[in-house]
Amino acid sequence: MIDPYYLQQLTIGISLGMVYALMAIGFTLIFGVLNVVNFAHGEVYTIGAFAGIMAIAAFGPPFLVIVFIVLAVGALAGFSLERVAFRPFRRFSDEASLKSRAMREATLMSSLAMSIIAREAMELLFGSEFQTIDIGYLINKPISLGPVTIVNGDIIIFVVSVLMLGGLQWLLKYSAIGLSIRAVSNNPLGAKYVGINTDRTIVLTFVIGSMMGALAGILVGLYYGAVFPSMGFIPGVKAFVAMVMGGLSSIPGAVIAALVLGVAESLSTTFVSSVWADMVAYLFLIVTLVFFPQGLFGARRERV
Amino acid sequence: MNVLEIANLSLRIGVQDILHDISLDVAEKGIYAILGANGVGKTSLMRCISGIYHPTGGEIRYEGKNIVGLKSHQIVDLGILQAPEGRQIFSNMSVLENLTIGGGPLKTAELDRVLGLFPKLKERLKQGAGSLSGGEQQMLCIGRALMRRPKVLLLDEPSLGLAPMLVRFIFDLVEEIRAQGYSILIVEQNAKAALRIADRAAVIEGGKIVMEGSAKELASDSRVADAYLGGHVAAH
Ligand SMILES: Nc1ncnc2c1ncn2[C@@H]1O[C@H](COP(=O)(O)OP(=O)(O)O)[C@@H](O)[C@H]1O
Ligand SMILES: [Mg+2]
Repeated sequence: MIDPYYLQQLTIGISLGMVYALMAIGFTLIFGVLNVVNFAHGEVYTIGAFAGIMAIAAFGPPFLVIVFIVLAVGALAGFSLERVAFRPFRRFSDEASLKSRAMREATLMSSLAMSIIAREAMELLFGSEFQTIDIGYLINKPISLGPVTIVNGDIIIFVVSVLMLGGLQWLLKYSAIGLSIRAVSNNPLGAKYVGINTDRTIVLTFVIGSMMGALAGILVGLYYGAVFPSMGFIPGVKAFVAMVMGGLSSIPGAVIAALVLGVAESLSTTFVSSVWADMVAYLFLIVTLVFFPQGLFGARRERV
Repeated sequence: MNVLEIANLSLRIGVQDILHDISLDVAEKGIYAILGANGVGKTSLMRCISGIYHPTGGEIRYEGKNIVGLKSHQIVDLGILQAPEGRQIFSNMSVLENLTIGGGPLKTAELDRVLGLFPKLKERLKQGAGSLSGGEQQMLCIGRALMRRPKVLLLDEPSLGLAPMLVRFIFDLVEEIRAQGYSILIVEQNAKAALRIADRAAVIEGGKIVMEGSAKELASDSRVADAYLGGHVAAH
């Protein structure tokens, strides 16, 4: 018989992993189309959380309405980010420069700059401490399942994430925009020859990835009751690790890696203090980079 | 009647002059062949037409309208499609996805027509495009362009690296699709075969057109014969 404690930790781990997965997808999609890392992705997560609690404070809408507001704000954040920090560095359009090293380095700096600006702006506006959230909106109501106690947030996070991931898979497989995203990831020059509007595809990739990231932010914010301007940093690092473990541009890879990471972290608190749990991610990253430089699923990966 | 007119086109990338004062006209339902050694600028010219490179001077007129400055997807929407050098297929996507992508909702009539031209692809629709042989990838690349019912078809070295039997298949195909009413601009190293199917042709050297005329004239020109039809080139 498994100790109920472990089942409980497993549940928490899956919730954590799902959130990392939502965030890792943003990284992965963007890396797919541009071969760049978006360092402002953690701030999109924070913006999502703030948008959600501001909506709650302003007019206390039902949960589903909050989700839609957060998705809309995430979409807007992704759109603006691409315009300001990425598009200006994409002036030339041959295959040599769409994914060039110079562009990678330039956007690395510009997205980092946007991340710092966004975080500092939020600290100026809201202060750096935890924001107060209407208790009624927190998703930490205990639910007893026999010997195991979980919270309603575990279920909400699971359901919302599965819906988002399923929706994304459908989008990538069957919709015109999804096919365009896959085509640009696979061969950006080829995409131009078939008449795909690559600029539009790239901006929509940012929009979709940022919607997922913003949603992850509000879910975690309401799960822990902790929303503050620098909340995006640690999950950003974790999601980045999941992307690398998953093979940089494989969505299924990133999702599996994120779940492994979440569960490993949550179970590790049994053995070490929770301060050290964050180290699990870094350990995974180092092991991956040393032993599986192509990612854990690198051998036969499909990009996006 | 010319469907595509290139007038005094020049291209400079960085400090390098790649194309200089290129002028040529592709007649409606004609086949125009561009010949030349490696690295003379043939692919760069084709990229200018498709809006991948932006020329630094001159005009490209399609049905009388200058298309220089349009984005690549706008040029595709006008009906100018290219089977580019290196094929540029989507190796991680299925053959079917490669054919239908970018074209809006799936048009089964178009698909049937293209698969009729390339029966080999029909057996492999669900397969990943990366697993196709070189010849099949070339068919996919041309088929992908034909799916859009182009008015002008640009072919950049379609026979490169193919076995002799496939080379013949490709050239027969080009003649066949011209008969169906397409206008074709083809870049080829296989000068003999290209001049046989073309109406007009030009020879490019160092980014400039050094010879231009009807395919017959060029085929019987001694300089062309020496440089492109004799020796190892004709051995293709
Ligand atoms: N993006 C580019 N940047 C710099 N030089 C280029 C670029 N594209 C082509 N060139 C140069 O232009 C010349 C012609 O190349 P290309 O058009 O590919 O020739 P061809 O197709 O006739 O073999 C070559 O010297 C090549 O190095
Ligand atoms: Mg070439």
